[in-house]
Amino acid sequence: MSFLTKLRVTNRSLHKAFAKNRLVTRRACEEIVEQAARLFVLFEKLSRRAACSTKKTLARSDDGYVPAAQPRLLFSTGDSYMSLIPFSLLAASDSATSSSVGYGALFMLVLFILGSVWIGVLANRATQKGSFMKGFFLGNRGLGAWALALTATVQSGGTFMGFPSLVYTHGWIVALWIGSYMVVPITGFGILGKRLAQLSRRTEAITVPDLFRVRFGSPKLGLVASLFILLYLSFMMFAQFKAGAIVMKLAWPGSGVLAMSEDQEPFLLNEKSLERLTEDGVPASVVEKLTPLVGKGFRSAMELIEPVKAALTVDEFASFKEPIIKRGTQLDWLYIIGLLIFALTVVGYTLMGGFLAAVWTDLFQSVLMFFGVLILLFATLSQVGGLENATRKSLEHTGPGFVFGPGFDPKAAAATASATTTATPAAPVATHEFLPLSLAISFFVVWVWSGVGSPAGLVRVMASQNTQVIRKSIYLLSVYNLGIYLPLIVICISGRALIPNLPTSSSDEIVPRLAIMTTKDWPGGSLVAGLILAAPFGAVMSTVSSYLVVISSGLVRDIYQRFIRPQATPMELRKAAYTAMIFAGLISVVVNISPVQFLQAFIVFSATGAASTFLIPAVMACYWRRATVAGILCSMIGGASTVLTLYLLGILGIMPAQPFGQLTKFHPYYLLNVDPFLWGLLASGTLGVVVSLVTTPPDSKLVSKMFDAEQNV
Amino acid sequence: MSSQIDPVVRTARREALIVFGIWLTALTYSVSTCYVLGYNRPVSELKDPRLVFGFPEWVFWGIVVPWVSCSMISWIFAVVFVRDGELGEELEETDDELGLGG
Repeated sequence: MSFLTKLRVTNRSLHKAFAKNRLVTRRACEEIVEQAARLFVLFEKLSRRAACSTKKTLARSDDGYVPAAQPRLLFSTGDSYMSLIPFSLLAASDSATSSSVGYGALFMLVLFILGSVWIGVLANRATQKGSFMKGFFLGNRGLGAWALALTATVQSGGTFMGFPSLVYTHGWIVALWIGSYMVVPITGFGILGKRLAQLSRRTEAITVPDLFRVRFGSPKLGLVASLFILLYLSFMMFAQFKAGAIVMKLAWPGSGVLAMSEDQEPFLLNEKSLERLTEDGVPASVVEKLTPLVGKGFRSAMELIEPVKAALTVDEFASFKEPIIKRGTQLDWLYIIGLLIFALTVVGYTLMGGFLAAVWTDLFQSVLMFFGVLILLFATLSQVGGLENATRKSLEHTGPGFVFGPGFDPKAAAATASATTTATPAAPVATHEFLPLSLAISFFVVWVWSGVGSPAGLVRVMASQNTQVIRKSIYLLSVYNLGIYLPLIVICISGRALIPNLPTSSSDEIVPRLAIMTTKDWPGGSLVAGLILAAPFGAVMSTVSSYLVVISSGLVRDIYQRFIRPQATPMELRKAAYTAMIFAGLISVVVNISPVQFLQAFIVFSATGAASTFLIPAVMACYWRRATVAGILCSMIGGASTVLTLYLLGILGIMPAQPFGQLTKFHPYYLLNVDPFLWGLLASGTLGVVVSLVTTPPDSKLVSKMFDAEQNV
Repeated sequence: MSSQIDPVVRTARREALIVFGIWLTALTYSVSTCYVLGYNRPVSELKDPRLVFGFPEWVFWGIVVPWVSCSMISWIFAVVFVRDGELGEELEETDDELGLGG
C-alpha cells in the first residue's frame, strides 16, 4: 500500500470519527479529506522533483542525520498551503541522506498548525447551535465513541517524548512501568463514566466544580474545586507552553537537534555548537576540551562559564569565552518566535472552536500517531531482523539490566556484562534502580487512578453522548493502547540494537532517528519521518488546548458567572470566555519568556496532585449517598496537601536521598518507598469517609434527586 | 440502599466494582509474575535470557499475555456486562444558563 493510500485510510477514519459526533456536516468532513489528499499529492510530487534537483549529499552518520540545507521560499505553485513551505523542505529526504531532517519536521509542524486551525473553524460551526456555554465548554454533550476513547485518557504529551527515552535507557523494565495501561480503557470509563455522565445531566453541570456545587448544594465546595483546578491546570499549561515553544525552535532547520525534547535548558553545548565554534575559528584543541560538556544543560550563562573555565587554560578562556557563550545559548530569538507562534496558534483555534476544537485536534493527532507507530514498528523490526534478534543484540550492547528487573548480583552481572558489552552500557549494573517492587506497584496505581481522577478527563466523560458511546469507548481505547504502547516498547528496544550508542542526553532522539533511518529508502518515507518528528508538537498543542478550555471555563462559569455577575447575558459570557482564554495565553507567554524548569517532573506533580485531590471526591459524589460537604472538602484538601508535603520534603532535601526513581532535582520523598500519589489517595479517602460519617447527613431530598429514579423524585 | 434507586446508579456501581476487581487482579498477576520471573535473577541466566517470541520470558507472561487478555476482557465487559441506560434529559435552559443550585 502506498503511503498516500495509507493517508487516505487515515483520513477516512477521521471522517468516520467526526461524523460519529453528528456535529459536523458530511460536506465539511469531505472537505477535510479532499484538502488533505490534495496537499499530500502535491507534497509527494514536489518532494520527488526537488529531490532530483537537490543532490547535495550531506550525510554525516550512518543513521541518517545530516546538516541542514538553506531554506528558500517557494511562491510559484499557486497553492496557498505550499507557498508557506520552504523549498528545501520539499526535498526533505525521500532519501534521508540527501537533505535536512529539520525540514521534514517543519513541514509536519506547518501541517499540524493548518490542520488544527481548520478543525477550529469546523468546531466553531458546530458550537454555533444551542447555548454558547454548553457548546463552547462541553461540545453540547455530543462526543461520540472515537472522540471520547482517543482523547479522554490518552496521555499523549509524554507518550512520544519521555517514554521512548525511558525504554531506550532502561530497557524492558519500562514495560512493567507502563503495564497498567492494559486496564486504563476499562478503568477510565468503567469506574465513573456512566454515572458521571448521568450526574452531570442531573446537575446540568458544564464544569467539574459545577458538578460538585450542585451535587452537594454548596457554592463553597464549588469554589474550592475551581481554585484547585485553576491552580493545577495553570501550572501544567505554563509548562506545556514551554514545551511547545522549544519543539518549534528545535524543529527549525539547522538547529542540529533531532529530539523534540520538552525540557531543554537555556544554555547547552551540543555537537552543532562545537561545529559552529570550529567555523568561528576556535582552534580544534580548544573545541576538543569542550567535548565532555556536550549535552549538559545549564540554567544561566554563569553556570555554563564555570565548567568551561575549568576545562580551558586562562588564555584560552579569555580568548574564546564570548563565542562559546554565544554558541551555547539555546533559548534565543528562535525560542521567542516559537513561543509566539505556538501561543497564537493554540489560543487562536481554541478561541474559535472551544471544547470541540481541543477534542478534535487531540483525535486528529491520536489517529495519525497510531498509524505512524504501526508503520515504524514494521520498519524497525524488518531492519533489525525480528524481536528476538533485537533483544539479544541490545543485551550485548548494554548489559543484563536492560533485559531483567533489578535484584541480580551487581558484581557477577558486571563480569557477565563486560564479557559481552560492545557499546555504552544503558541500564547497567547501577546502584540507582529504576523500578524496585514498591515503585512497580505504585505505578500500577498511579497511571490508572490519576487518569480516572484527572479534571480534564472528567469533563470529557461528562460530554459523552450516551451510554452506548461509553461502552464503545472502552473497546476502542483497548485496541488503541495495545497498538501504541507495546509497539513503542518493541520499537525502542529494536532502537537500542540498531543505534546502540546514543548518549543519555540524546536518548530522546531515538524515535526520530529510527524514523529517519528505517524509512529513508521508502517512497514518501519523509512523511513518516516528519510525522514522528512532529508528533510531540501535535501532542502538546492538543494538551494545551484542552487546558485552555478547562481554565477559561473555570474562570467564566465557576467564578465570573457564579460570584461576580450571575445575571450575565450570553453575549457577556462569550466575551468573558474569549477574554479569559486570551488572558491565560498571555500569562503563559510572559511566564515562559524566562522558561520554567523541571518541566516533566512538574507535570507529573500537577497530574498526581490533581488526581489525589479529585479522584476520591468524585467517587464519593457518584456512589455514596452519605458523603457530606465537609467530608468532600477535607478529602480534597487532605489529598492535595499530602502530595504537596511529600514533594516539598524531597525537593528541599529535608529527607535523605533515595536510590531509586527518576533522576531529577524536582523529586518527591517516597515515604516507605511508595509514590506520594498513593499516600494522597489514602489521606483523601480516610478523611472523606471519617469526616462525612461524623458530620450531619446531607439533605435527603437533594440526595434523592441525585440517586433515585426520576419518577420517584 | 433505597429501593427506588435509579437503575443507572445501580448498574454503574456494580460495573465499577467489577472493574475495580479486574484492576486489582491485573495488578496482582502482572506485578507478581514480573517479580518472580524477572527480578533477582541468578547470574547463570543473565547472559542467555529465556525469550518467548522475542520478548524476555517475564515480559511475555507478565505484560504481553495479561495485556492481550485485558483487551479481550475489556471488549467482553463492554459488550456483555455494561448495561445501557437513560442518562436523563437536562432541563430547558434559562436565560442566565445558571442551572440548578445557583
